[in-house]
Amino acid sequence: MLPANKSPATAGGSPTPPVKEQQSLSLELPVVKTTPAAIASGATPVARLWLCIYLPALPLEALHRDNEGIARAVFDDQDGIPKVLLANDVARAAGVRLGFPVNAALALLPALELVERDVQCERRTLFSLAGWAEQFTSFVVIEAPGILLLELAGSVRLFDGMQKLRQAVSTGLGEQGFSASLSIAPTPLGATWLTKAGRRVCIQDAANLTSALSALPLTCMDWPLPIYESLYGMGISRVGDCLRLPRQGFAKRFGVARLLELDRATGRLPDPRASYRTPEYFIADHDLDEELSNSDLILNVCQLLLQKLEQFLLKRQLAVQRIRFSIFHLQHPATSFPLSCVQADRAVKHWFDLLRIHFERLPLPAPAIAIRLRAGQGQPMSAKTDVLQFTKNDKQRQSLSIAHLIERLSARIGNHSVHGVSTVAEHRPQYAWRPELTLDRLPQCEAMSPGFEKSRRPLWMLTEPQPLAVRDGRPLYQGILSLEDGPERLETGWWDEDGIARDYFVATNPKGARFWIYRNRGKDRGWYLHGMFG
Amino acid sequence: MNDALHQLLKNRHIWRGTEQAESSDWQGLASGYPRLDRHLPGGGWPQQALTEILLEHYGSGELKLLMPALARLSQINDPMDDSHADSAAGWIAWIAPPFDPYPPALAQWGIDLSRVLIVRPKKASESLWAAEQALASGNCAAVLLWSETLDDGASRRLQLAAEKGQSWAIAFRSLRALSEASAAALRIKVTAGTNGTDLGILKNRGGRPAVIHDYAAALDQYPV
Repeated sequence: MLPANKSPATAGGSPTPPVKEQQSLSLELPVVKTTPAAIASGATPVARLWLCIYLPALPLEALHRDNEGIARAVFDDQDGIPKVLLANDVARAAGVRLGFPVNAALALLPALELVERDVQCERRTLFSLAGWAEQFTSFVVIEAPGILLLELAGSVRLFDGMQKLRQAVSTGLGEQGFSASLSIAPTPLGATWLTKAGRRVCIQDAANLTSALSALPLTCMDWPLPIYESLYGMGISRVGDCLRLPRQGFAKRFGVARLLELDRATGRLPDPRASYRTPEYFIADHDLDEELSNSDLILNVCQLLLQKLEQFLLKRQLAVQRIRFSIFHLQHPATSFPLSCVQADRAVKHWFDLLRIHFERLPLPAPAIAIRLRAGQGQPMSAKTDVLQFTKNDKQRQSLSIAHLIERLSARIGNHSVHGVSTVAEHRPQYAWRPELTLDRLPQCEAMSPGFEKSRRPLWMLTEPQPLAVRDGRPLYQGILSLEDGPERLETGWWDEDGIARDYFVATNPKGARFWIYRNRGKDRGWYLHGMFG
Repeated sequence: MNDALHQLLKNRHIWRGTEQAESSDWQGLASGYPRLDRHLPGGGWPQQALTEILLEHYGSGELKLLMPALARLSQINDPMDDSHADSAAGWIAWIAPPFDPYPPALAQWGIDLSRVLIVRPKKASESLWAAEQALASGNCAAVLLWSETLDDGASRRLQLAAEKGQSWAIAFRSLRALSEASAAALRIKVTAGTNGTDLGILKNRGGRPAVIHDYAAALDQYPV
């Protein structure tokens, strides 16, 4: 770490101070000096080395990486006209150039294979490449579209020298079909600029950095065009010229941010970066040698996949709560279904149990040709002690936990068909309760509305009130209803869409069954059946 | 009578036709309705067995009949038994109920709502499967099942599952099932009359059939 003088831009996490202060601070040339404390403890600042991987042909290479002598070009929409963004060697040899309208390129080379740019695909490629680069260092940064930064200082010894390490990265990229340029510098921005300027250098000593950067053309920096134009107007064409300008004036003219960028590139200011972490997802495929329709055989394959999942999770001390199986068919769209459990688990036996329950009622439209298992985000495994098999309490030994029961029921019937209940403090009868999904947590009840204990409520409620026929002004339900108790007037909820104004009665029909009915006090004055005293 | 014969008579599967089985070694679950308890062997609902309730219409007072016993089951917290601390026994599963069991009313009856599990299968066969799973899991103190397709074989399965999980199975069926055979330990017909609800005990393992008029008469400690 470079103990530079306090710069607000480097104080990670602290709130940004007012702009004025920032300017006055950063306009002075930061001086690199070692603090007395650091000298006393004998600690030397950790020197970092950044390897920049620049993939100029990523838009093309993300889509096609085989070079079989086919002329290819990627185009995208520029001002409404599809123009060539990038062409491969074969196309370039035939004269296709960057910025050609697609029609012109085709006229020049009718055999040209044109593909539209796919930014998503580029992103995916870059992410997977970042995952691949994690074999060289634990610190990978995705800097910009097409640029990866690898911090290598800690890996040099392991890979037996910087040259060998760089060679390994370069060979690995080549094997995957990427054309990349690599540079090494002590600062991330320095490495990026060197690479973008096309210098294949390896600067390990911070003292040599500034001179190397000074020789670079301005275009290696990612600055907006107007700034370039005005710099060119001043006769400045190299980074070194910029560095020689008066700092005060430079900041005033081009903004403090540009000045900070120069300082970071030359190592006068630290440049902290966040490293990329490959998400730990589990996906495993199993291609079947022949089409399978026998469910036992398919289940066997699924069990193999679950074993792989268990191995994967075991190594990481993780467990998952949700997994998804996809079964692919030749003609039909894939059959895909999730399985979830109450408490994250990784045991094959547990998941296989749920899978079998689900599978029993799963109609496969066609024989399977491949099976894929995907697992959600892992979470730390919380291990619980199991009951010993010879425990005396027979009942407990047999019993699965309630969580297991809910899982099993949900696996077969569906997550939303298994639920708990809780009460809600609300006067409208239909809103005084809610279902609680038990898969996530056990229900917790709100206190019921005051005075509720005294009111009569039926044990059965209809989801939707049922309109009642009326004869001689008296409601009918399996005979004429006689009102027994009431009215209990409920008039509430006017503040939302679903206000009610009802008189509730307890009513009995001639057979002696008791119901909870109400009469609307609003416009229709209709009678409705809402519940039953079961 | 010799001791061996006495021992035999204590088995709840054996009783003499003229009297109720001796209840020294097994206890029924008190229903909360003394007039009903008097007719049930063991002084209450048969535990670890299937009870069938036959009724013509919902709303005949069929849930009210069970509420005091269910409330007690849901609140059982065995402080002496540490091993049960997280096994969370005492769940009450409602499988394929015809309407929504209304939580505020359940709470009025004293049922612990955090122990209520409602399962709504889409097919009748799934209801039976779910009931069997819930009964055999050993977590549910009671499993209430509404099913129109409960044949003799299915009721036998429920009976076995109830024994395995030491749970109480309750099946609600229509009066049409009167003529069908059933493996239930207790079959009760519930009919709402103009003067309260009448119970007809049709089959009573360890006891005798009986008719009880207005079973809840003169009990005003309960909600409606």
